Amino acid sequence: MTDDALREVSGFAIALDRAYAPATHMWVRPTGDLHVTIGMDPLGVETSGTLAQLSLPEPGQVLIAGQPFGQLEAVKFVGPLTSPVSGTVRAVNAAAAADPGLVEREPFTAGWLIKAILSDPADLGKLLTDPQAITDWYAARIADYRLSGAIAR
Amino acid sequence: MTALLPVLGSPAKISPDYVRISYASAVALAMKSGRFSREFDFGGINLLLNYDEGCLSDCGYCGLARTRQADYGDQFIRVEWPLVRTGELVDRMAEHEDKLTRLCISMVTHGHAYADTCDITKRIAARVKTPLSILVAPPTLNRHRLETFKAIGVDMIGIGLDAVTEQLFRSIRTDVPAGGLKWEKYWEVVTDSREIFGPWKVNVHTLVGLGETDQDLIEIFTRLRDQQIFSYLFCFNPEPDSRMASHPKSPLMRWRRIQLAKHLIETEGYQAGQFDFDADGSLVHLRASRSAVDAVVSQGVAFMTNGCPGEQGEPGCTRPYGSYRPSEPFRDYPFPPAATDLDQIKAQLRLDEVLG
Ligand code: SF4
Repeated sequence: MTDDALREVSGFAIALDRAYAPATHMWVRPTGDLHVTIGMDPLGVETSGTLAQLSLPEPGQVLIAGQPFGQLEAVKFVGPLTSPVSGTVRAVNAAAAADPGLVEREPFTAGWLIKAILSDPADLGKLLTDPQAITDWYAARIADYRLSGAIAR
Repeated sequence: MTALLPVLGSPAKISPDYVRISYASAVALAMKSGRFSREFDFGGINLLLNYDEGCLSDCGYCGLARTRQADYGDQFIRVEWPLVRTGELVDRMAEHEDKLTRLCISMVTHGHAYADTCDITKRIAARVKTPLSILVAPPTLNRHRLETFKAIGVDMIGIGLDAVTEQLFRSIRTDVPAGGLKWEKYWEVVTDSREIFGPWKVNVHTLVGLGETDQDLIEIFTRLRDQQIFSYLFCFNPEPDSRMASHPKSPLMRWRRIQLAKHLIETEGYQAGQFDFDADGSLVHLRASRSAVDAVVSQGVAFMTNGCPGEQGEPGCTRPYGSYRPSEPFRDYPFPPAATDLDQIKAQLRLDEVLG
């Protein structure tokens, strides 16, 4: 990722060189030939609280868009990691599984979660890719979370 | 020649100017980001005195114990307890007062703990009307000091007895490398507190799973109930690096039955004689009608977190996920259990085995 792709929206970083599944806080970065890398955006990470454990799938596991592929556990929160696309897991970030803090520190780079190969390239078209749409969505979500008290002041 | 001046370190972040707060409290006061897995109103704020030396007691199950292997850093009872400035904390409490239900200062065994608890209590009471408890450190107290707590606005006193028999208390809290806590002293503080604070204004924390029997627990529940003192249940949860790190948790079935028994004794007036035990002290039979027990179970209150109440008697100190991880089954519920929760509770209780 180049620094040019990185923006700050209301105090939270967002990378504009990839696609987003707004409901799940997952990002998808195409890396060529139906290959993608998937991770979690910093807002999803921050509002979960301090991460305690990540349960990630094995390579070869089938992904179904909208279905959990793993689980995130924070100090007071547990929730699914929901796949933004359908396909098959090719690689898992063992470093992030061993140290979930990596996802907090470097959500767009070293803190990726899985690499996958898409079964249906049309899935990408269902995600947010337009930079303006991404920043608008992000700003609205940040405002919601601030209102609900999920973001520290 | 140039004289070398001593390099002064930054001032220690210790009480009374700093305290630790539970992660849930920090979220409620927007001092930490985060959410709970299930949405519910939360307003129980738990503070813990903080000293460089930690706690000078040495209890086998505790993350603050003096001879625990690891430096406890920000991790107490497994999760992060952020260190905050007391002044900022009190400002936040005042700002969020409308949603606060109960405040509590947990003392630790330390020479400054009493004076610092008084100082912090006064700072809070001057700004916030939410009822305040102190979870006391008996070795630091006497009757006069308890009277002072009452005089400066403390509403309830909690005593962390934890080990419910004298023998267990001695083996875990007295006869340990840097132990020395006295069973008699704990009960002296229970008695004094009851006299000073009045009926149902004192509670004794009882920890389930340290090695006590069901019979031991039921005896202490009835003994305390008869003195109008609450027993508050806590579920032993092995603390990494403590001496009891590999000691198992109570099975869920036992924990649920103990929750139910405690509720029946404290709220429904059951007597010790209504519980039958085997030779090992395990509960084997409950002398009660099935319909009466089913009605109590269905209310769900028996399985909610035991804690000092809010001003109107509502749940006050609810410590969400205090003795289990968010990914584990609830041990105590910080909200009224929903219908699906009650189905699980009923399955865990296996009441057919002890009724009828
Ligand atoms: S139940 Fe909660 S508020 Fe009451 S003494 Fe114990 S920790 Fe404090």
